[in-house]
Amino acid sequence: MAESHVIIRNLSKSFGKTKVLDDISLEIEKGSFTTLLGPSGCGKTTLLRTIAGFYEVEKGEVSIGNRVVNTVPSHLRNAVMVFQDYALFPHMNIRENITYGLRIRKTPAEEIERKLEKTVSYLDIKNLLDRTPGEISGGQQQRVALARALIMEPEVLLLDEPLSNLDAKLRVSIRAELRQIQQNLKITTIYVTHDQAEALAMSDTIAIMKNGKIMQVGSPSDVYYRPDNAFVASFVGTVNFIEGTVKTSSEEKVEVEANGSLITVREKPADRQIRAPRPGEKITLSIRPESIKMLENEPEDENSFRGTIKNYIFEGSSIRYWVNALGRELIVDVFNPPENALHAGDICFRIDSARIHLIFQES
Amino acid sequence: MKHRIRELPESILIFFIVLCLLMFIIYPIFEVLTYPKAKDFVSILTNARYMRTALNSLLMLCLSTLTATFIGFIFAYTVTRTNVPGRKVFKFISILPLFSPPFMVSFSYIMMFGRNGLITKGLLGLDVNIFGWQGLWLAQTIAFFPVAFLVMEGVLQSISPMLEYAGRNLGASGPTLFRTVTLPLARPGVAGAALLVAIQVLADFGNPIMISGSFSVLATEAWMRVEGWADIAGAAVLSILLLAPSLIIFIVQRYWVGRKSYVTVTGKIAQMPIQKTGKVMKCILFTICALVSVLVLLVYFGLIVGAFVNGWGYDWTLTTRYLTEILTRSKELVRSLSYSAIAGFASSLFAMTAAFLVSRKKFAGRRFVDFTCMLPAALPGIFLGIGYSIGFTKPPVDLYGTAAIIILSMVFWNISTGYQTGIGAFQQISPSFSEAASNLGAGSLRIFREIEIPLIKGPFFSSFIMSFIRAITTLSVIVFLSTSKNSVATFSIMNLVSDGFYGKAAALTCVLLAVSFGTIGLAKLLFGKQVTFFKV
Repeated sequence: MAESHVIIRNLSKSFGKTKVLDDISLEIEKGSFTTLLGPSGCGKTTLLRTIAGFYEVEKGEVSIGNRVVNTVPSHLRNAVMVFQDYALFPHMNIRENITYGLRIRKTPAEEIERKLEKTVSYLDIKNLLDRTPGEISGGQQQRVALARALIMEPEVLLLDEPLSNLDAKLRVSIRAELRQIQQNLKITTIYVTHDQAEALAMSDTIAIMKNGKIMQVGSPSDVYYRPDNAFVASFVGTVNFIEGTVKTSSEEKVEVEANGSLITVREKPADRQIRAPRPGEKITLSIRPESIKMLENEPEDENSFRGTIKNYIFEGSSIRYWVNALGRELIVDVFNPPENALHAGDICFRIDSARIHLIFQES
Repeated sequence: MKHRIRELPESILIFFIVLCLLMFIIYPIFEVLTYPKAKDFVSILTNARYMRTALNSLLMLCLSTLTATFIGFIFAYTVTRTNVPGRKVFKFISILPLFSPPFMVSFSYIMMFGRNGLITKGLLGLDVNIFGWQGLWLAQTIAFFPVAFLVMEGVLQSISPMLEYAGRNLGASGPTLFRTVTLPLARPGVAGAALLVAIQVLADFGNPIMISGSFSVLATEAWMRVEGWADIAGAAVLSILLLAPSLIIFIVQRYWVGRKSYVTVTGKIAQMPIQKTGKVMKCILFTICALVSVLVLLVYFGLIVGAFVNGWGYDWTLTTRYLTEILTRSKELVRSLSYSAIAGFASSLFAMTAAFLVSRKKFAGRRFVDFTCMLPAALPGIFLGIGYSIGFTKPPVDLYGTAAIIILSMVFWNISTGYQTGIGAFQQISPSFSEAASNLGAGSLRIFREIEIPLIKGPFFSSFIMSFIRAITTLSVIVFLSTSKNSVATFSIMNLVSDGFYGKAAALTCVLLAVSFGTIGLAKLLFGKQVTFFKV
């Protein structure tokens, strides 16, 4: 295991009476890309700004590289931030914006020039240097803001929803680029977003937050396939929940009765959360829409059921169906659908027993 | 056919507005410009007194603008960007002088710091002569720093705090941050504020007439020409000397500085806590603000004490006789109230109508109306006053000594504020409201009654109150038009002060202050957030 670079211990913060950070603890590996993900008001931005040093630490501890920085002011932390609306200085041109931090540090002019050269060619913004922030596009502003942070060679790079002001297509392309840059520079990066697709695409580690608490920390596939609780499951991607009662439980499989049908779960015991399920206990099954397969004929084998299509939408690469089955409405995604795909009527489907995740009542 | 019928009243309205502007703004300006003969203009260069007066005005322009802007900036910065204690109090105090007659500062300082001053003589036993340029400098600084404060408060508030956070995050702190981020961002605002103050200082008549003694400036010299020598041509020449720089400053302020602004309207100004100011800085800012606040409060204190003592400087026994006399027997006070009420209403109605036409209709002369409605903001009061006294005291329109000439001068001198408020209001009321109403089946009359009027009510009321207060506190405009038959309170105060009747003058000033503060208070109480004053 790599060493921890940013460590947050029992951090709490309130604005007036509302608790925005509630006893947060988190360790961030050196050189990793960590995303704080959550709905608005969950405390993710507050956490990021506390790491940046914009908010005072009320209770708990923030340390960067073995140094407790609770009382270190923002300008001495070298945890550089890219702001949501970029906060480029309107009274300076792009060159002055990017070199601002180095000039404050009184870096020698030749060195500034050398670093500037390197950074702008890296980000492909060489031709913008003499313009002002008002004269360049949103995507370009985004790159300039990134350049202004990267040129500082920060110990930690902080990104506050930096893609949220860009249009959808640009967002996807910059997303990949940002990840590439981070990988090349191996710079410890903390990224804040409410967009789960962004989080899944870019991160090494995702910390999902709600009401000032961390709900789960894990890799993208951890939080996607093995959510600790219903909130994580539903916030990251789309999910079907089926409540049922455990009938049998063994190493090999768990059988759950839901609405009179028996559903078999073959999740690997290692992936199970907490413990083995006990027969007779109430449990929730979390099933991704793409883990349900539409069937052409009607094989009466494990986990295949009948249902009725209620509604559908065509999304290009897939069709999403709403199917009435098992006494509820299930969402089913069919990828690479045939052009004459079904739009209505009765169908059969099978749930992939290896991709069903069990969520216990107590979590 | 239907189209024409609908447009007829509109055309009459436009014709009426244009005619009024031509007659009551353009014509008087024209009269002043054409009154002096060539030899009168030549005398500017030959008359040493004119040259000295012009230089005096220039000196005061530099000094007072500099200090008023500087103090305004300190206040604005303290209020918006620091955690210095008492910020709300400082803000409140700095706004007070905006609702008061400007000459009141000089008048009160004569009583506080003059030869018979309560503080200088009474308390400290000093023999100080406050008359002259130093006194004027102090009075103008206190009278006009609020204007600078208001402009820069707006500018500083609209600079995104994120930019300061970004600077801090990149390693800047304290003075470095201020020098590299905050100050450069505020610079266009500071320039704009300084120019607005400069126009006011240049046109100031009330303060120099009371406090500057033999140190004469253009505005007071023009008045002396008329009073002492009946030399209207000379007064006209002097007021033209005054108009030229005013107009230039006005144009620079509006068309150059106005555009070069970093104010970013993102609509999403993050609620971020203000970073703690350094201890030393905090002390310095607090001390300056507190000191200036005391000077402002002394103005009001002096006036109130002045109104209630028997003889300033020799008999400190209390009396209410001056106040009783003013309240029961002052014709000037009654005139002030009635003229200002009429002028305030007429002025804002006219301004709103013009604003409505300019922002919603297309017609020939639209640019003329827009320009002419803004023009009075650049006209020194005495310039317009002289224009009226030349243009409207001879046939065919002889209004000499009437109420009408005073009221008309008040109406047209004040239209700029109301007009600006109106333009702002109509810009905010999206035409889509009317379109939506029409789309839902409302006729045009109904739209006007149910959509436009309710939305414009607040701005109209604000502009009415501002015009009223400006009218009741003005001296420069009416000084050339006043006779014993139509003189108002401010004119009477000027004469009382120059004759040494401080008690009565102070009582009258206090009543004017009570009226204007009372009006503001009442309006705020009744209409709350609907009315806003002084949006610069």
